[in-house]
Amino acid sequence: MSTRPPTLREKRRYILARVEPAGLPVDTKDLYYALYEAVTSLWGDVVTAAMRPAVISAENGFVILRCRRGTEREFAIALSTVTTCHDCPIAIRVYAISGTIESLRERIKTLEVPALSGPSTPGRELFFNEKAVEIASGNGQKVDVIEKGFKNAHRLFLTREDLEEP
Amino acid sequence: MKITDACVYPYPAGDSSVSRLALEARAYGYDSIVAIDTPAAEISGVTVLSGIHLANATAKDVQDRARKAGGSGAVISVQVGDNAFNRAVVGTKAICILRGIHEADRYAFDHVTAKIAADNMTAIDLDLSVLIAGRGRLRQKAIHRFRDLVVLQHRFEFPFTISSSARSVLGLRTVREVAGLCSVIGLDVSDTAQALTGIDRIMRPENAAVKVIP
Repeated sequence: MSTRPPTLREKRRYILARVEPAGLPVDTKDLYYALYEAVTSLWGDVVTAAMRPAVISAENGFVILRCRRGTEREFAIALSTVTTCHDCPIAIRVYAISGTIESLRERIKTLEVPALSGPSTPGRELFFNEKAVEIASGNGQKVDVIEKGFKNAHRLFLTREDLEEP
Repeated sequence: MKITDACVYPYPAGDSSVSRLALEARAYGYDSIVAIDTPAAEISGVTVLSGIHLANATAKDVQDRARKAGGSGAVISVQVGDNAFNRAVVGTKAICILRGIHEADRYAFDHVTAKIAADNMTAIDLDLSVLIAGRGRLRQKAIHRFRDLVVLQHRFEFPFTISSSARSVLGLRTVREVAGLCSVIGLDVSDTAQALTGIDRIMRPENAAVKVIP
């Protein structure tokens, strides 16, 4: 089968988004199911078929998504209704929409935050509200911690000022 | 006019501290947030307003508690009830917001209640959490209720507020995302902008009988 000439090809738009919480490993297949469910439940089968949502790549907390040109607004609204991915609470924040993947990859380089050190070092033990917590990830003032304890992997979203030294 | 998220639940009701919620809210384009059961403060350039949410109470209880909390400067919101309850609540001076309209039956908020709300500058809250996390019939019912409210609001011009009811930073939505979600219920960009500043308008009414000039 020969490929179609450019004028007959379907026009697409690519969306750069960030998956929160930071540091959460994202499987593209699980993410595809999550956003497909969100799009279908909000807009229905007809719009989803016209939109043709897809996950292109997921790396360093950023994901590149694809949809047909002209449906990016509806797709972005549906992305704001994604709340879980494989039973993990997540949020998807749209950063940019472009006609090429390359320009979004360039954009990722400008958005990437350098790894932190000091009080926000992952794995470090601190206290919050008299409970021992371990830092899961940190970015500037923002610190995500996990309460220490048997069977407790609940993530808390704090700032550096909220934490106390042991 | 300050762009405000009309209801967030910081730790211990949620999993995010009030300072983290304020930090994220600033990044998402908000000037202030209403934090339930949290003292008022100014954090990272974001005004944190103290919020009191009254639920499962009679109209008499609501009026008593509103009278006690009236001078505190807190944003008092009341969970919706039946029609008679709602009429009594929106007519009470210190009550700022009526919340949870999407959960009420179809006759709970009618044109008479809308008129009383407009006269008393009592805001009706659009809780976006049900649009974000709800699925199926629950969300369909909420969209229908909100669309009906928009029709009443255009006629009577009572104030709207918009809340994420976020118990986590993951539940917060950017102002742009809020505008997108509001388009689903028939609010255009200018209506959404007005709803986002609803708290500022009800806390500092433009046509107040007495204005304090510093």
